[in-house]
Amino acid sequence: MTRLRKWLGQNWLVVLVAFGYGWAAVRRPETAILALRIGARTFVDTLPTLVAVFVFVGLLAVWIEQRFIVRHLGEGSGLKGMAIGAGLGTLLHGPLIGVFPLLEGLLKKGARPAVVIAIVSTWAIKLPMIPLELQLFGWKFTLVREGLLFISAFALAPLIELAIGKHWIERFRDAGDAEVGAR
Amino acid sequence: MSATDLAILGVAGGLLAVSWFASRAKTTAALKIGSKQFANTLMFFVAIFAAIGLLEALVTPAQIQSVLGSGQGVFAPLMAALVGGLAAGPPAAVYPLGKYLLAQHASTAAVGTLLIAWVAVGTISLPAEIRFFGARFALTRWGATIVMSVLAGLAMGWVL
Repeated sequence: MTRLRKWLGQNWLVVLVAFGYGWAAVRRPETAILALRIGARTFVDTLPTLVAVFVFVGLLAVWIEQRFIVRHLGEGSGLKGMAIGAGLGTLLHGPLIGVFPLLEGLLKKGARPAVVIAIVSTWAIKLPMIPLELQLFGWKFTLVREGLLFISAFALAPLIELAIGKHWIERFRDAGDAEVGAR
Repeated sequence: MSATDLAILGVAGGLLAVSWFASRAKTTAALKIGSKQFANTLMFFVAIFAAIGLLEALVTPAQIQSVLGSGQGVFAPLMAALVGGLAAGPPAAVYPLGKYLLAQHASTAAVGTLLIAWVAVGTISLPAEIRFFGARFALTRWGATIVMSVLAGLAMGWVL
């Protein structure tokens, strides 16, 4: 019973999605097939990014010293750290979930939560999409919207960091130390 | 594969080559760490992408449009934040939808909110976010981003 509960705890999403597809297959088979197609296409589209991200995760773990991350993105990095985060987020590409492993790696190496939140916030700025937005909405709309998105990162990052509390980061720090010690 | 994908893979490959040149042992270790994490999360990613497919197939732009209606009034931006936040479609899909809503006399605040929430909120990636960063972080960020998208939308309506 506890084993089943543990398994469900880890795989609840798989179970939920399987139920969703089961329901769709019975009620609306054509929707289920369309969903599978969209899902598979999105996955294939994202695969190159995922592969690259895990290469970066590995290289980050062995090459970048903790000192370096702590100095530039750590607790004392202040506005500069958040600005680096916001810039990084603007450049990032692909679905956000693909980038989570890399952000986890940064936290383990000593990055401040606010820096990671800034990355996640400005990730919503999609550089390749800007020509489309310009074409459909004009430069004023685009400039104001993208500008607000960028600025909002500097408000969201410290606020969310405050809301999640000081102890939240400990799980990454402990894990990071253990990993470094083991190697 | 898009040009951006190729560029990213190129950067990853280039860094790997430099790393290999500098230290084979470290590069092997890096590849081991990367591939182990990749294998650990692969099942999860498959489930997430299946969920994205399901949500995208079930929630069509036409439905979003009918929920948002004319996109006017005080609650329109709030509605736009919730609908946009739930949607799982690609970023490119929301722009034509927003343009259409504007043509239907939706408020700039509502359309601005929709465009921001569509990409920034990420309800569908919440399970992944919880797995990597915990429920406290993920839910706080989710809620704060919904509020932010409404505020930014209202600011757009005010400025434009």
